[in-house]
Amino acid sequence: MAVRIGLCSLDHLHAMSYLACLAEVPDIDLVGIWDDDKKLREATAQRFNTQACASLQDLLDRNPDGVIVCSANALHREHVEAAAQLTPYILCEKPIATSAADGQAMIDVCQAAGAKLQIAFPVRFAPAVAEAKRMLDANRLGRVYSAACTNQGFNPGRWFVNREQSGGGAVIDHTVHVVDLLRWFWDTEVVEVYAEIGLGFFRPDLDIDDAGLLSFRLANGVYGTLDTSWSRPEGHHSWGNVILELVGSEGVLSVDAFRPHLDVTAGTPRRSYWHPWGRSPDHGLIDDFADMIRTGREPSISGHDGLQALRVALAAYESAQTGQPVALDHD
Amino acid sequence: MHRVGIVGAGSISRVHAAAWARLPVELAGWHDVVPEAAVAAAERWGGRAFDVLEDLLAASDIVDVCTNVAAHPEPVLAAAHAGKTIVCEKPLARTVAQCEEILAVCTERQVPLFVAHVVRFFPEFEAAWRTVQAGTIGKPGMMRTVRAGGFPRMGGGAAARRYADFEQSGGVIMDVGIHDIDFHRWCMGEVERVFARGLLEAGVPECDHALLVLRFESGAIGHIEASWAHTPGRTRTHLEIAGDQGLVAWDSRDPASLSWRTRTDNMPMTRNTLQEADHPYFAELAHFLDCLDKGCEFRVTPHDALMAVKVSQAALHSIRTGQPVAIADFRD
Repeated sequence: MAVRIGLCSLDHLHAMSYLACLAEVPDIDLVGIWDDDKKLREATAQRFNTQACASLQDLLDRNPDGVIVCSANALHREHVEAAAQLTPYILCEKPIATSAADGQAMIDVCQAAGAKLQIAFPVRFAPAVAEAKRMLDANRLGRVYSAACTNQGFNPGRWFVNREQSGGGAVIDHTVHVVDLLRWFWDTEVVEVYAEIGLGFFRPDLDIDDAGLLSFRLANGVYGTLDTSWSRPEGHHSWGNVILELVGSEGVLSVDAFRPHLDVTAGTPRRSYWHPWGRSPDHGLIDDFADMIRTGREPSISGHDGLQALRVALAAYESAQTGQPVALDHD
Repeated sequence: MHRVGIVGAGSISRVHAAAWARLPVELAGWHDVVPEAAVAAAERWGGRAFDVLEDLLAASDIVDVCTNVAAHPEPVLAAAHAGKTIVCEKPLARTVAQCEEILAVCTERQVPLFVAHVVRFFPEFEAAWRTVQAGTIGKPGMMRTVRAGGFPRMGGGAAARRYADFEQSGGVIMDVGIHDIDFHRWCMGEVERVFARGLLEAGVPECDHALLVLRFESGAIGHIEASWAHTPGRTRTHLEIAGDQGLVAWDSRDPASLSWRTRTDNMPMTRNTLQEADHPYFAELAHFLDCLDKGCEFRVTPHDALMAVKVSQAALHSIRTGQPVAIADFRD
């Protein structure tokens, strides 16, 4: 039996990637797309050979097994809570929400409705990251001292630079991916974070943080840094990166999650860019979501994982305000 | 469920068996001219060991021929006459005439034949081909590939002696260069002529190397370096295709996604880890099964396999004669 999936909103850039993956994974039936932009939803529905839905309710009334929520961050709560009433499986784009209270409410509503909530952290499915996890599980690195990490990218513009809709700029956008990986690697938590944040550093015309550097300590003793900046200029060969440099007692492990790639020079105007090859991390995420629906198992990346990652981003903003490291409680 | 019988229990058969194990087929068993090898393979991978080829054929729906190239025609023809679906490792056969005979019998018996030109299933090569297909680089004009490693010593056993025996292996062009010849044809269309130089008759023991210049019917030009003369270790691959609107390139020396350096030895272990479904030998057999079940054409047609051998043989002929060789008129 094909798994029936609906897409709620085309706000997030990842929505188009997920649609491409949904078309590639066998035995998935895309039942419809809703977006509040009528033209966009109709053009996209036509392109992916599915129905354009007039409202979120219209999409949910088609009884999909799973809904993927790709709306702007501030709308996640409303959309996930609506979906949870009718849809048993939900995949929500990161960050889970713009406040910890919203994130917790989403988890509670899903639990009460019996809906399983997964957060979209596709980088776990990058093959080099998965291999790093296996090496860490096998204790190949010995005692790990530090993790120097980057998740740099370009400035995505649009609602991402509107604090009301996004909850923040580069720091909320790019803290959560790597924090999720580190929590997952060691089944641990970030216990303290210090952050230097730049407001309008690359784009003074925008009142939003676009530079961020976090220094953190994990409960297992590992310390590290994370550059979350939207520092990749227009015309750069890649949208950005996820790079981890792990130093341990037995050796050094370097992970560059979005390699390998072809080098392509093409287009008008002509430019050189990286063209990743092999199945994308997004493909792995969609595979995993479909597998959860088919087997009825628990999500591999839970709402709690999404909330814990968000709390670190929020603590980074707080640290930049106070100029002090911020401790996070984990009861 | 399809029953798969594997002929030839050497190194490549183990790669195939690992891929079959992840696919919805039943492994019927093994046949090898060395019966103990079939027994050992059956113990490791499952299925029965068959002393007689015909008994394996009778127990199989799909016959996967993994013998050395000189020993391809006998089991392939036997399987075709028995009406079995055939997977055959590359190259299809040692000579053009043998390939033509195999194609004729498979056509007559209406037997599907898939030749495992695995490079078309390497994700980096497939992605480059897709880039060309999508028109991203415009009309392709120059194409260059390199596949360079050390001599295949294979632990010094019988397989290594076969590689060193040109009559059996066809040397580096038939074993290595043929990958690129097939990939060039896939991207650029039919080859018009080939000119080649190499170590074919240079008398260097346990070493072979060739540089091929191809001209395609489209007017495009191709370059292939095929080497058993480089240093041992991981084979280096390089690829670039230049079109009138752009360029696509890849090199296995590019930094990898994963790199691991231990404190005791500073030799980095670097690797581009793949998602399971992207492993090329799995991908090619999954593709084969999918096409078989849906009745659609294989990515590698029997004609493609024949032409890869024909261009390879023409390149060898060019080295011997010092002359360019036109493909359309070429005979062994």
